[in-house]
Order: sequence, then structure tokens, then C-alpha cells
Amino acid sequence: MGLQTEFLPLSVDALPAFAADRKREGWRFVQLLAVRTDAGCDLVYSFMKDGLLENHVVEGVTKETPVPSITDQFLAAFVFENEAHDLFGIDIRDIAIDFGGKFYQLAQSEPMTIISPAQKAARDKAAKAAAAKAAKERSAQGEAAGAGGTAGGAEDLEAKLSGMDPEKAAKVRAAMEAKAKKEAAAKQAAVDEKVAALDPEKAAKVKAALAAKAAREKAKREQDGAPEGADGAEAAAQPADADGAASPAQGAPAAVEGEGE
Amino acid sequence: MGKATVIPFGPQHPVLPEPLHLDLVVEDETVIEAVPQIGFVHRGLEKLVETRDYNQFIYVAERICGICAFGHSMGYAETVERLMGVEIPRRAEYLRVIWHELSRVHSHILWMGLAADAFGYESLFMHCWRLRERVLDIFEKTTGGRVIFSVVKVGGVVRDIDAAQMAEIKRVLEGIKEDYRQICDAFLKDSSVKNRTVGVGHISHEDALAKSMVGPFARASNVNWDVRMLGNGGYGELSDFQPVLDTQGDCYARVKVRALEVLQSIEIIEEMMAKIPAGDIAVPVKGSPAAGAQAANVVEQPRGECYYYARGNGTKYLERMRMRTPTSQNLAGMATALAGCDLADVNMIVLTIDPCISCTER
Repeated sequence: MGLQTEFLPLSVDALPAFAADRKREGWRFVQLLAVRTDAGCDLVYSFMKDGLLENHVVEGVTKETPVPSITDQFLAAFVFENEAHDLFGIDIRDIAIDFGGKFYQLAQSEPMTIISPAQKAARDKAAKAAAAKAAKERSAQGEAAGAGGTAGGAEDLEAKLSGMDPEKAAKVRAAMEAKAKKEAAAKQAAVDEKVAALDPEKAAKVKAALAAKAAREKAKREQDGAPEGADGAEAAAQPADADGAASPAQGAPAAVEGEGE
Repeated sequence: MGKATVIPFGPQHPVLPEPLHLDLVVEDETVIEAVPQIGFVHRGLEKLVETRDYNQFIYVAERICGICAFGHSMGYAETVERLMGVEIPRRAEYLRVIWHELSRVHSHILWMGLAADAFGYESLFMHCWRLRERVLDIFEKTTGGRVIFSVVKVGGVVRDIDAAQMAEIKRVLEGIKEDYRQICDAFLKDSSVKNRTVGVGHISHEDALAKSMVGPFARASNVNWDVRMLGNGGYGELSDFQPVLDTQGDCYARVKVRALEVLQSIEIIEEMMAKIPAGDIAVPVKGSPAAGAQAANVVEQPRGECYYYARGNGTKYLERMRMRTPTSQNLAGMATALAGCDLADVNMIVLTIDPCISCTER
């Protein structure tokens, strides 16, 4: 069978009639607890019958909200009502055995309403982490949309070029290749500048690694039968994109990074 | 009829093992009214949930009580598992039941020793506690601890009981059963015990229901309620479970229910050990309880039903953890049982409720 639990809403005004109904229907009072919330406190009244544990939640109870006692129906609640008063400052009226705020011998009044610095820090940290995660997701979505747009743009351009006068299309292609070469040269210059700033021994290793990578890619292109063009320059410039500090090609990075550390 | 006098009883009193205060309104030697008060050792353990994450808090939960330590760690872990939708391996469920029932055996035998001490049967007290040591030895061999065990974790248990240990437990329990039957005879048949318990501190079935009583205290008044009936976890694998009940509702009935529950627990342990499946003892639990998520759970502790509640806030710390112990639920019933009794019977009635104020204070 197993335990079945339910959480149901309840209002303060309906509480006395509700408790009387529960008593008449043969439910057993299980407990009352309070939970601190932003709006004040939630009170959870639990009743059980035939293996069903019902938890009725009264939300947003403040210190100014008078809460009627249910000890006229369930005497066992006097312990929990006194506790809710002493630990949370809940104003519970007409408790059958009322200790008047002296049920617990406490060093601080209403201690459960105080948010500890540790809890506040944990909450703030969780909120920041959630915000950062959301921002990252938004950024990733934006990039994906951008990448999709670029690919789509290239396809559109090719479709336009194929529909153009051949001479004009050749001019456009030449202009685009020149632009790509110019960008690749600028990237290569940036890489060279960073490599020049490195320790000579390390710079030599980085240069060797870049040259090896370029050679491998050239061989691969030749093997695939792809035409040689501006891509070679782009490939040489690629490590600068990845690391900004001239990360070398695959095969050499461990030695270079190890020295860098 | 004499003049009404208020006698303060406790929180420190030779016959009270717990810091409970009673204002006894007496006329002559008869108690007219008893008003219980606790709060002398309130520890604020529930507040600690704000500074211990949900994995660490299990070590706080089991320190709620030195007798029901295992039950509290199990109840807490089950509640967090409900909160996070974790399903633990079946072997872990069986192991939890075995340790939990061992806790019940040692708790009840401890209580029987205290009761014997209260009605002046010193040798019976010593026999009870001697027997209890053998149960604690089983705990020590299987968990490494005698009071605090730290074998439960969210997602299962941290230790297994191997076949050799199972055989050893079975052999020890057989020996305990033999000795325990002799102790049981003394409790249930000896006239000196009956003189102090029969007809004392009577609670009717109707009163027991009206006061929402739980545990052996309620079952002695024929309240047919035991959380184990629900078949949560490994209890669902038991071939048959019927709560031990009595109809008399007096101190003797409460002694009898606890005495018979010890034998019932030993039978449960033996059945669990015979049926325990092979497999893992825990599953990894990652992430944190969602903000606003809440879960409730009940566990049958040796003293009765214990209620657990947890609410998450999106961090690894819970927003709220609540343990409602059986004694706090039985205080109203205790006040009812004391009304009309002889002053000399107050200690006997309080003891047969088996109050654990340390649990109640948390």
C-alpha cells in the first residue's frame, strides 16, 4: 500500500470549521508546523486516516494574523501551537494549555524567524548561479541563431551568385577571397606578434607546432583534392582564436602549456 | 475531600529519566489534574538545517535521540529521498529494516529495565540491561557504533551486512529469545509487577483516539495503528504484519504490548535476513531539492509514529526540516492518564508512556 501524502491549501478563516469536520470524520491529528517564507509563515496542519497523510497549508500568516487554536477539537495540538508561538511568533488564540510564550526556555525570541548569514549566503549564491546559467543559455541560443544565420547567408549568397552575370559573379568572388585573405593576414600578424613576445625557446616550439599543423592540414587537403587557397592562412591563424596566447596545434600543446605553467 | 494543592514534579526527579515537569494538582493523595511542561533542554536542531547541507544533516538527525538514533536517520533520509524522487536499492531497504527493528528491540528492553527499576525490581532491571548489551554488540559489529551508527545516507546505506554477520546475528537473536522469554514471564506473570501496573493509568479506546495517541501507548488501548502496516520500504516485503494490540488500556497493557513487540521485531529481522536480495546498497544522489518542493513522511519509532517534513529552496540546504516525535504527540494522553490516579502511581504512569523528552525537544 505505502504511505500516501497530499499537500492542500487551507485558509485561516476556514480553520475552526475544518478542524471540527476532521474530528467528526474520524481523522487523527498528526502535527502542526510552521515554515518561514518571504510573505511571513506557512502553517502546515497534518491529519491522517486510512493511510492517507493530508497536509493542509495555510500560507502567508504574519505576526498580525490571529490564528484560532484547534485544541478545542484536538488537545494534542497544544504542544505544537505553543511551539509555533515561541519559535515563530505566530499569534495563536485560545490554546487549551497556553504557556504564554514560556513553553521553551529560549535565549532569543522567535529564533526560527531569523535568517542565518550562512543560509542567506547560500541563497544568494544559488540565485547568482541560476542567473548566470540563464544568461549562458540565452547566449548559447543567440550564438546558435547567429551561426545558423551565417550558414544560411552563405547559401543565399551562392544562390544569388549563380543567378548573376558570370563576369560580375567572378568579380564578387575575387573581392570576397581578397577580403578573406586580408582577414587571415591580420590574424596571422596578431599571432606573430604574440609569439614574438614569448620566451625565444617557447616561441620556437610554438612556431614549429604551427608549421607542423599547417603541413598536416595541407597534406589532408591535397589528399581530399580540395583546392589550395586562403584556407591555409586561416588554418595557421586558428590557434590564436582558440587560446589568444598562441596555443599550438594538436600534438605539441602539452609541452608548450606545461612550460607556460 | 481535602484542599487542592499543586505539587511540582520534575524536571529533575529520582524516578524520571527525562527532564519533564508536571504540575500535579492533588486533593489528598489523588491527582485531579496534571499539566506537563517541557522546554528545559531545547537544542534547536531543526534550525541547524540552515547550516548543514542535506547530506550532512543526517548526522544531526541521528543525534536527536540516543535510543532512536537509527530511526531518525532513516526517517530523515526517506523524507529527503521522497523530496528528490530518489529510489534506493532493495537491499538497502532490507538493511534499514533490520537495523531499525534491532533499535526497537534494544529500546523496548531498555525501557523494561527502567520500568523494573521504577517499581523496585532491581534484579529484573539488571537482567534487561544485560540482554540489551547483546543487541548493542550486534550494532557494534555491523555498524561500528553502539549509540550513533551513521550507516544511513540519502540514497541508501553506507555499510552492508555480509552472510557471516547475518549468521552471527541469527545465532545471537536465538540466544536472546531464550533469555528474553524468562524476563517476559517475570513482567507478565509476577504478582509484584501486576500489583503496580494492573488497572493503573487507564486510558479508554475513545480517549486514545480523541487525544491522537500513537505507539505502544495507543495500541495498549486497542488503537489499531502502526506505521509498519503501510508497508513502506522493506516492510512491504513482510509476509504478514499485524500490530500487537491490547484492550485494557492500563500500565500492564502497555508493558505487555512492548514485551510482545520485542519478539515480533526479532521475527521481522529473521524474515528480512532470510529474504534479503543481493545487489547494491546505495545509489548516487546529485543535485539539490527544488525551491518550494516539500515532502512528508512517517516512521514507526519504538515509541510510536514519528513525522518528518522537508522543504527545499533550490540550494543544497533545506529551507525547513521538521521532526514531530511520538512523545510530543502523547503528552495530551499522558495528562489524561494522570488525571484521577494516586500520587504514588504518577511515576509508573509516566514511565509506561516511555517519554523521550530529548526527542521531543530536538
